[in-house]
Order: sequence, then C-alpha cells, then structure tokens
Amino acid sequence: MLKIENLHVSVGNDDTAAEILKGLSVDVPAGEVHAIMGPNGSGKSTLSYTVAGRDGYDVTAGSVTLDGEDILDLDPDERAVKGLFLSFQHPMEIPGVQTMNFIRTALNAQRKVRGEEEMSAAEFIRTIRDKGKLVGLSDEKLKRQFNVGFSGGEKKRMEMLQMAMFEPVFAIMDETDSGLDIDALRMVGDVVNALRGPERGFLVITHYQRLLEYIKPDAVHVLADGRIVKSGGPELAMELEKSGYEQFIEAA
Amino acid sequence: MSTSVFINPTAFEAGLEAAYRMRSTTSETQTAAFERFAKLGLPNRRVEGWKWSDFHNALRTRDIAAGRVEGERPSSAFDALNPVEFLIEDGRIHLPEGAAPSALRFGVVDPVGTIAELEAHSIVALNVAMTRKALGVEIADGAVLDRPVHIRHINTGAGQSFAQTLVRVGKGADVTLIETYEGRNKGFYSHLNHMAVRDGAKIRRYVLQNKGADCIIHGVCAAKVEAAANFSQTSLSTGAGLSRHETIVHFWGDDAAANLNSAALVADKRHADFTSIILHKEESGTVRQLHKGVATDRGRAIFQGKFEVERKAQKTDAQMTANALLLTDGAEANHKPELEIYADDVECAHGSTCGALDSDALFYLRQRGLSATQARALLIEAFAGEAIAAIDRDDIRSVFEKKLNDWLEAHA
Repeated sequence: MLKIENLHVSVGNDDTAAEILKGLSVDVPAGEVHAIMGPNGSGKSTLSYTVAGRDGYDVTAGSVTLDGEDILDLDPDERAVKGLFLSFQHPMEIPGVQTMNFIRTALNAQRKVRGEEEMSAAEFIRTIRDKGKLVGLSDEKLKRQFNVGFSGGEKKRMEMLQMAMFEPVFAIMDETDSGLDIDALRMVGDVVNALRGPERGFLVITHYQRLLEYIKPDAVHVLADGRIVKSGGPELAMELEKSGYEQFIEAA
Repeated sequence: MSTSVFINPTAFEAGLEAAYRMRSTTSETQTAAFERFAKLGLPNRRVEGWKWSDFHNALRTRDIAAGRVEGERPSSAFDALNPVEFLIEDGRIHLPEGAAPSALRFGVVDPVGTIAELEAHSIVALNVAMTRKALGVEIADGAVLDRPVHIRHINTGAGQSFAQTLVRVGKGADVTLIETYEGRNKGFYSHLNHMAVRDGAKIRRYVLQNKGADCIIHGVCAAKVEAAANFSQTSLSTGAGLSRHETIVHFWGDDAAANLNSAALVADKRHADFTSIILHKEESGTVRQLHKGVATDRGRAIFQGKFEVERKAQKTDAQMTANALLLTDGAEANHKPELEIYADDVECAHGSTCGALDSDALFYLRQRGLSATQARALLIEAFAGEAIAAIDRDDIRSVFEKKLNDWLEAHA
C-alpha cells in the first residue's frame, strides 16, 4: 500500500534550506493501521505534507509509492484522486466557501477523474447528513461557510466528515486527536474503524497514546530527528506514554 | 475656421468642438458647460482623483465622428424578469413598447445642467454640453413597483455618445432599477444619471457592465437621498479599455441610508474604476460600503471611496471596506479610502486590504481533489461573491453570479 523509502526532505530556500526528514522509511501494507509517534519538531507534519504533495517540501532523495506507483511527481489533487487523504492538523477556515458545495464539488471532481458517476444532489445530501450525524456536525453547521467560526474540535469533526465522505484508499491523520475531548476521540475511532478494511490503510500521526485506545494500530513507529528510530507493536505506544521520548531523542 | 476654445486641442477635442459647433441649438447651460469643459480639458493623471484613470491620454487620438453600427439588438439576461425596458442606443432613447405600470411616468425630456458639486467635473461638463435629449423616469409617491425598470445602455460604433437620465423616486415609493452597459464597440460613452430619492423612498440599483476591451466609458450617478430614504446599489464590472463609474450620494435628510457594493473583475489589460463620494448633510445617516477588486494578467482595479460628514451630521454611522485580490504579478489594484469628518459624534471606519490567493487554502482544496483551476475559481468566487451575495432577489442575483462564473471560467 503506502511505502516510504529512505525519504529525505528539505524545507526552505537554497541558502536557508534545512533537512527535516533524514532517510525515513515506513511501509504500511493494505488493511493495516500504523501509528507514528514522536516529539515536537521530529518531522511529523513535514512527512504528512510531503506525502500529500504540498509545495515547498523538497524531496532530495527517496521514494513514496502508493500501491506500487510513485506519487512524488503527482500534483496534490492527482494524489487525492488516487485515494490519498490527509486529515489536517490545523484545518483551514475558508470564508465565502459553502461547506456542502465544496465537499460535493470535491467528491465529484474525484469521481469524474476516476471515471465514476457523479453523486446526485439528493444522494449527496442524504449521505452528508448521515455522516454528519456520525461525526457530530448538525445540518446547521453543514450549511455554514467552511469551518468559519468553528471550534478546534468542530474543525477536526469536519476532517472526519470528509474522510467518511471520500472513503479514501489511504488516509494520513496528522494529530487528529489534538484538542479533542474523550467523546470526540471515540468518534474519530468510530470513523476509522468503520472504514477499516482489507483494501485500505491508515497512518495515524500523534503525540499521545490515548487515540490508540480507540484505533488499535497494527504497528507503532517512533519518529525522532527525521527518521524512524524504533518500530514495534501497540505495546510500544504504552511504553512511550510511560517513559517519554527523551530516550529516543538522545538515540537519534 | 474660428479659433479653437482649446489650447493645443487633441484630435479628440478638435473633433468634439467641430461636433459641438455643428449643432443647430444649444442652451445657455450647454454653452457655459462647453466653455467650462474647454477650460478644464479631459482629466489626466496629474489631476487629483484621476491619477489612475487618465481619460485625457486614453481619448486623445480617438475619432469621435465614427458612426454607429446597425445590427441585431441582443437579448438581455434580465428579459426573464419582465422589466419595463428602456434603451439608450448610442445616446438615442427608445421608450418601452407595450403597457407600463401606471405609477411609472416617463418621457424624453430636455437635458439639464448638473448639481453644484459636479460643475467642476470636466466629463460631466462635457456631458451637459453634448447631450441632446434625456430620459426622465418618475415613480409616483407611495408606489411599490413590482416590475423592475431596466435601462440598457448599448453602444455600437467607434464614435462617442452621451446620455442623461433623470430618475425621481417619489415619497415612500419602492423601485428596482437595473442598468446594463453593453456593447463590444471601441467608442466612448458618457452617462450622467441624476437621481432623487424622496422621503422614505427605496431604490435598489443594480449595475452590470459587459463592455469590449477597447471601449472607454464614464458614468456618474448623483443621487439626492432625502429623510429615511434608502439608496442601495450593487455593481459588477469586467472593466473596459478605460472604465470609471462614480457614485455621488448626498444625504439631504435625517436617517437616510445607503448600501454600496461593487465588484471589479479585470483581466488582460482591462481597467475598472469605482469612485464614490457620500456626503452626509443631516443626522443619523447610515452607510455600508463593500468593494471587491480582482485583477489578473495586467488588469487594473481601482477604488476611491470618500465619506464627507458635515458638522450637522451627528450620529452618522458609515463603514467602508475595500479588498483587492491580485492573481498575477502584473495585475494592479489601487485603493484610496478617505474620511472627511466635521461632526464629533459619529462612527466612521474604513478598511482596505490587498493580497494574493491564500496558498494554505489552495493546498487544502487541492488535497480534497480540486484541480488547481477549480481551487482558484472557488476561492476567487468566495472573495468576489461577497459583493453580490446581498442581492435580495434570486433572479437578479443569479444573473450576477453567472457573470462572475463566466469570468472565472475564462480567467481563474
């Protein structure tokens, strides 16, 4: 599924460029959920932005493939159409953009490129209302401009709503748990667990072990100073919760 | 030939003078106006308020005598609203055919002078001197007109044309006025619109400009707004070779209100200038003004807005916002917001911003599957759409939205 090999990424202009990822490798097979945990500044967001194709993240070495296809030369929207979804750590407020209109436009843009039939207006409204209930966003919230006036928690719910609507092949969840209360964490777990299946993969990026109580990962990786310094099973997350990242920062 | 009233006339000015002298009758007002114009000349970039819209330079070589072009009159997107339609074609006035509401009186009348505040305005002086006949439209006191009034300004040829309209909205009356500026011609068009909005009356004016890239156009709407009357205006322009619309609103009574929304969408080398002055002469006037300028390629979007508050106009509440979005390096936006306040108990504010599309938002939208073009279009629509979102009639708003979407399709 998503295979990242020896990824080196620099950020910034020529003379101020800094290497953030320094040979990162992770392989998430289809059907699995992997967690990446790491301290602030270890390169977690750089990893998610680079895989999603954001400008300004310069890949100097390594590869990223989705189902065997190199995606590094693709535009962000081309990656999205391949089924790559990023749940943003800090979702945008976009004034003037109507939420329903945007999600429907995006959904149908993806479908069109994939040669699938567009979703009718009636079916769309039915679906988004159902999924809205699942993530805890009322019809009133869906009728607003995109994320305008939303709390941090509501913005994360909006990310989960889109993930539920788009049913991506592979989802990267960048600190989706930050700023969420227990009920919201459970909701995130519900959305992920409902989507989990043999054809789908998830990379869950987080500081804390808490979210992993709701999303049981198949593997946990520790990211420190731009590379994976330790991999293990779910028990690794527990160990980190107890003894912190300090040991790995020194090891890196 | 007698000596010219101009000193070193341009080809355009010489042509104007010849046309003026060929006329069989001119009133004293017109003679005085032409002399005023000759003294002032067309405004150029060195004249205060005209820095970004140099009509002198744009018109100097234009041939004013070029004729009109006969052709099929195009249908209008507003036809579906069943408006009372007036046509001003190359300055010639065509009154509506068929029945019109009895509360609406209209006719072709002799042109008038202008208000004192516009006497030193050289294009207005030229208009006063040159216009042969004016269109008068009057809405009876207390009448609520269910059909909108549509004045279509159509230009066909490469020459010049002038028009005047006089609109009087009676006490407590309520009217929707649509004005469209149409024609892909190369010529110069000047329109002077004097309006009186009597006590408690309400007018919603919608202005849509769809002109060719070579045309030069100047419009002034000078509205006298009386006590508790409401003047509301929404304008959308894709510019022209040189385009300027001035809105001059004078609050003559207490509790008058104005809403002015405008959007300029300029591509290629087009130019759109929205200039306004709102003069508060009496108490408790309210103004909400929002301008959105979007420029791409080498387009230029200009906004000049001024609130003048006289000493007597206490409790004035006036807010002005102008935002510009530049899509390319060569695009340009110029804003000049001004407040001139002589009263001490008022709330007046203005804000002005200029920026590019937000790269964070663009990336977000593209991550969701929108192409770069779709993402840009969605964000530009969100930006400019705010200026037309408040149009309360769905059928009118949808015409404006379509115009915006057509522009986005070509230029996003």
